[in-house]
Amino acid sequence: MSREPRLTPRPRLRILRPVPALLAGLLAACISQMPDKPLDPQAALVAKGRELFFNETFGGNGRTCATCHREERNFTIDPAFIATLPKTDPLFVAEFIPALSRNFENPRLMRAFGLILENLDGFDDLETRFTMRGVPHVLALRTSVASLQGPRTGWSGDGAPADGSLRAFATGAVIQHFTRTLDRIAGVDFRLPTDAELDALEAFQLSLGRQQDLTLPLALKGTVPKRGQGIFLDDRLGKCNVCHRNAGANRADGDNANFNTGVEDLPDQPARLTGERVPRDDGFGRPGDGTFNTPPLVESADTGPFFHNNAIETIEGAVGFYNGQAFNNSPSGRFLASIDPNRVGIRLDGTQVVAVAAFLRVINALENVRQSIELLRETDALGLSNHAEAKRLLRRAASETRDSINVLAGGGLHPEAVAELERARHLTERAAGSFFFRHKRIREAIAAQEKARAELVADSK
Amino acid sequence: MQIRLSVSAILVAMLCATSHAHGQKATEQFIPIGQSPGVSQKLTSIGEVAAADARARTVTITDPAGRRTVRVTDRTRIWLDRTKLKQSNRSGGFADLQKGRRVEVKFEDPARRDVAEWVKVEIDR
Repeated sequence: MSREPRLTPRPRLRILRPVPALLAGLLAACISQMPDKPLDPQAALVAKGRELFFNETFGGNGRTCATCHREERNFTIDPAFIATLPKTDPLFVAEFIPALSRNFENPRLMRAFGLILENLDGFDDLETRFTMRGVPHVLALRTSVASLQGPRTGWSGDGAPADGSLRAFATGAVIQHFTRTLDRIAGVDFRLPTDAELDALEAFQLSLGRQQDLTLPLALKGTVPKRGQGIFLDDRLGKCNVCHRNAGANRADGDNANFNTGVEDLPDQPARLTGERVPRDDGFGRPGDGTFNTPPLVESADTGPFFHNNAIETIEGAVGFYNGQAFNNSPSGRFLASIDPNRVGIRLDGTQVVAVAAFLRVINALENVRQSIELLRETDALGLSNHAEAKRLLRRAASETRDSINVLAGGGLHPEAVAELERARHLTERAAGSFFFRHKRIREAIAAQEKARAELVADSK
Repeated sequence: MQIRLSVSAILVAMLCATSHAHGQKATEQFIPIGQSPGVSQKLTSIGEVAAADARARTVTITDPAGRRTVRVTDRTRIWLDRTKLKQSNRSGGFADLQKGRRVEVKFEDPARRDVAEWVKVEIDR
């Protein structure tokens, strides 16, 4: 009598299926339980800076650097994120600390447009002398702070007191944003960061994001992003590369500079439509010269709203700004026109604006993929004893992956890559909740990220 | 075309070369004497007012390096450091540069040290 072949394994064999993965997970955990190498001094400094950035209130009103520069939002904030915060979040101190209820923030503008009050022209007249600015991200600072005229920090390049350095920036931020009262008395309303703390904060901030600029052109696979890159690099058409070399923060000669691009002359700026007092922002210096510092563009697509005053919500709108009268009548726009054979500053048609925006979306997604893979590999190298740190890194990786999904899907780009990124995100989240299978999930997530990247660019590295 | 683009790059460099980097002065007002990061003692002089000439708009200070006379111009910011009184720092004027008061002076030109960019005057009573 012949037996029918079994179509399914016996029950006890099904139970044993996960065993190889379990053993691999245990082995990986054991290997990574071997004594860690001592943290090198720079890594220790960065770790100290991270601790300060996220937790140190400097004896002030409860805010930390991370109150405005949120890790889960690419070290910035926007109205959608602000709407999720509880009323007691330190971001809203002006709403629940009586001493800060006037002339410290404008809660309506903060909640509606993500705008923060700054007294860059001094504190002698708090009622009328202030600016309302968005929160700049602090990614890729190593590529954007240095300039031939000295360090450039903040939206107008003069954000730091003292020697104007990124290191000194935290001192000014504590005074402006952390104070318990408008008296701003050192030792009473806050304490100033020590030299060691400033060193650590600087090291941490410089460690965030890209450490070097891209080298364009990239071998992009998408038709529209590829054309957008072409327009971007064309000094007769998009002219973007003149000031944003390689989609970074530096101009063609490699220097990070300020320009007056006419953003303050935009009509119908959202914050001013509310009827709230929003004084004109005169930019660099006191009195200001109207210029603002050039930010990097690789990080732009997932760090809107755009420009120093959050005047424009979408990346397409931000690219389209350079078509308009405000830019073309500005010193920068007039200059570009003066050297153009047709006396045109920047003039792009609708499809060209979208193409440039698509290019910016794709390079942003590529950067998010790079960061996600880096975080996944970093997690993979941790031991079992670092479960909390592993979860933190994986949460960040999942967040970066969500960003790349949103950025591509928001432009209707690369659906196949989006599908792979969704898979990567799911695997990353499962890895965060896993113990013995974390290693396997991470490897699978990395593979999915790499597949997504291969959809976007030909020579994936 | 290559030449025109290179010229463009140079002209762009000239367009924005007018903005010299400097530390913003707004929050400097609230940094007590001697605590300005990267600046105090390196680019400043901390000492006592020995004399002040309102007509010449100069102030003479004594510090560990000796005596130095510094010009106070219309651009010079003068702040009253009232930290020791646990009071808010305020803008001051030339009249606050009184003999015996402790001051910190930042120079417009760190090499020449002859013109004050800002002066912090300690008010402790």
